[in-house]
Amino acid sequence: MSDFRVKELMVPLSEYATVPKGSTLFEAVLALEKAQEEFDHTKYKHRGVLILDKKKRVIGKLGQLDVLRALEPKEKNPGELSQFSQFGFSSNFVHKIHKQRRMKAAPLKDLCSKASKLKVEDFMQTPSEGEFIDQEASLEMAIMQLVTGHHISLLVTREKEIIGILRMTDAFAAVFHTMKECEI
Amino acid sequence: MKELEKLLDRIIQRNNINLRELEYDVNPFVKDLVRFNQMVKFYAFYGITPNHPLDFVFRHSSLAGSYFLGKIRTRNSILYKSDIRGDELKHQGDVFNYQKFEIPITRDEGIDIEDSFLIKTLVHNFSHDPETLEKFFIKDTVSTHYANIHGSPMDGCFLGPFATVDLTTMNDCVIGTFSYIQAGEVGHLNVDPGTVWVRSPDVFNFLYRHPLDKLNHYINFIAGRLPQGFLMDFVEDRKEAFQRVFNAVNIEASVPVPDSASLDRFAVIKPKTRIGENVLVAQRAFLQNAWLGKGANAQENCYIINSRLEGLNVTAHGAKIIEADLGKNIFVGFNSFLRGRVDSRLTIGQESIVMPHTIIDVKMPLTIPPGHLVWGLITNQQQLEANSVSLKDFSKINDGLIKGNMAFEGNGAAFVTAFQERIHHILEANGAFFDGKKNIGHAQKNQNLSFNTIQPYPDGELQGLYPAIVIQP
Repeated sequence: MSDFRVKELMVPLSEYATVPKGSTLFEAVLALEKAQEEFDHTKYKHRGVLILDKKKRVIGKLGQLDVLRALEPKEKNPGELSQFSQFGFSSNFVHKIHKQRRMKAAPLKDLCSKASKLKVEDFMQTPSEGEFIDQEASLEMAIMQLVTGHHISLLVTREKEIIGILRMTDAFAAVFHTMKECEI
Repeated sequence: MKELEKLLDRIIQRNNINLRELEYDVNPFVKDLVRFNQMVKFYAFYGITPNHPLDFVFRHSSLAGSYFLGKIRTRNSILYKSDIRGDELKHQGDVFNYQKFEIPITRDEGIDIEDSFLIKTLVHNFSHDPETLEKFFIKDTVSTHYANIHGSPMDGCFLGPFATVDLTTMNDCVIGTFSYIQAGEVGHLNVDPGTVWVRSPDVFNFLYRHPLDKLNHYINFIAGRLPQGFLMDFVEDRKEAFQRVFNAVNIEASVPVPDSASLDRFAVIKPKTRIGENVLVAQRAFLQNAWLGKGANAQENCYIINSRLEGLNVTAHGAKIIEADLGKNIFVGFNSFLRGRVDSRLTIGQESIVMPHTIIDVKMPLTIPPGHLVWGLITNQQQLEANSVSLKDFSKINDGLIKGNMAFEGNGAAFVTAFQERIHHILEANGAFFDGKKNIGHAQKNQNLSFNTIQPYPDGELQGLYPAIVIQP
């Protein structure tokens, strides 16, 4: 399909937005904003933040969806709403319950104020086994992992060290480039 | 006793294999729940009556303190103080209606218990599974204190204390403490404690969750300990009265019993109790200053204390009614706990339905108006309003209702009708409508019941186990 290697397509870790474990959601959003501002100087657009431990190792990813999730009204019994489907309630009915609870919840401004003080580790996604890819892997291999695992990005490794992140958009750009070459 | 210990290990292993997908380990919950020396102490007994089949086969089982009636097989099982009541099983020649099918019953139905450990559990009714109509099976299952397995064949399940599975075929499920499930057919579910779920697919779906912090006061169960809480204390406090009844060979009824009523000799009857016509009092029921009007019943593990039931009342298995006045035609569901106080009585208006596993515990007088559906946990007037709806209003629901911890989807009228029809059927089966000739039921059929006892090996490797026993006419 192509001769692209993952290391040629990835965003290096040094250029990605990161925050240390223990940061608040607000600090993570600020880090993301800063990375966006630097977009003028680099070719990368950022949609997430990586969480690092004390030894600067990646321990999680915080995406835009995770930040929005933090704004959801808290369930009295965690997991309760997701269990309604297990008990055979229709998706329409579950949606109705969501709506009713959302109406009773605090206004968005209050939720934002509260959420900004929460810790990133409570909302970050811990990478699963299929989310790592070696820097020498081919684009085809990266596409396979993105598609089968429904991931929006992969963590790129050199030996055991994470050195970058390969986003779906990077893989797509490479595919688009290859398609255009084929047409010519 | 080695063989009994091996048997328990084997049952736990088989149960865990079935529950591996749920990553549930029953071992720490069950291992020391009943001491082995307890399993040696008590005799088992069975009923003989011309009205029900006499067909028992017990193999490689411990049956301490358990009661059997009807057609029952046990194999590689431990039954501790459980009631296996086969007086509603289907007979050869009956026809079972299921959806558009009319299914003939080819032989008498039997209860078949294999590789299972049942503790103080009630097994009753008949298999509602159209795929296994002649065999009500309980396999690779562990059930704990005061659980009810009612018309529910099951394989590979764990039932917490005071859990009820009703008219539901169940595979590889964990049913939490004080949860009630009536859902037709379910598999691979881990149901949290205090869940009350009644579902008829495509017709209605009722779900209530007890607040766990409050429920824990009444009943809670953690690994390595006996079930704890007020409900356990309540039954423990009255245990001695049952020991007296079980130790006596012959017991005369201590209160007058009308010809049309039945008072089981293994029930506890305290002073000032009044039994009306067509009343059924089952074994392990406890009555104290209880006034039971015509056609009322008290089923297994029911406690009715300082209370008056006007008549045609169903007090389902495990329900408790204290310091309360109930009008006519009231249904109190499985394991419900209804308690008023001496100067603050609980009054329930006629034709009301108290959902299974409801707790009403009031310190101020409380009146539930006639014709109401009540559920959940109620300790005052405000909670009554949050946890009840008139049957008339409930019948108007077309799509759904969310009220506090209760969610209902579907047709309210169908839900109310299903309950009312079932209550009528229970009263009919219990003989509440007997007119001297017609409508004979348990209250009349169970009057002439004899009991025989059987005993385990008293010592040695097989101590606590019963020899293979076949009892037939």
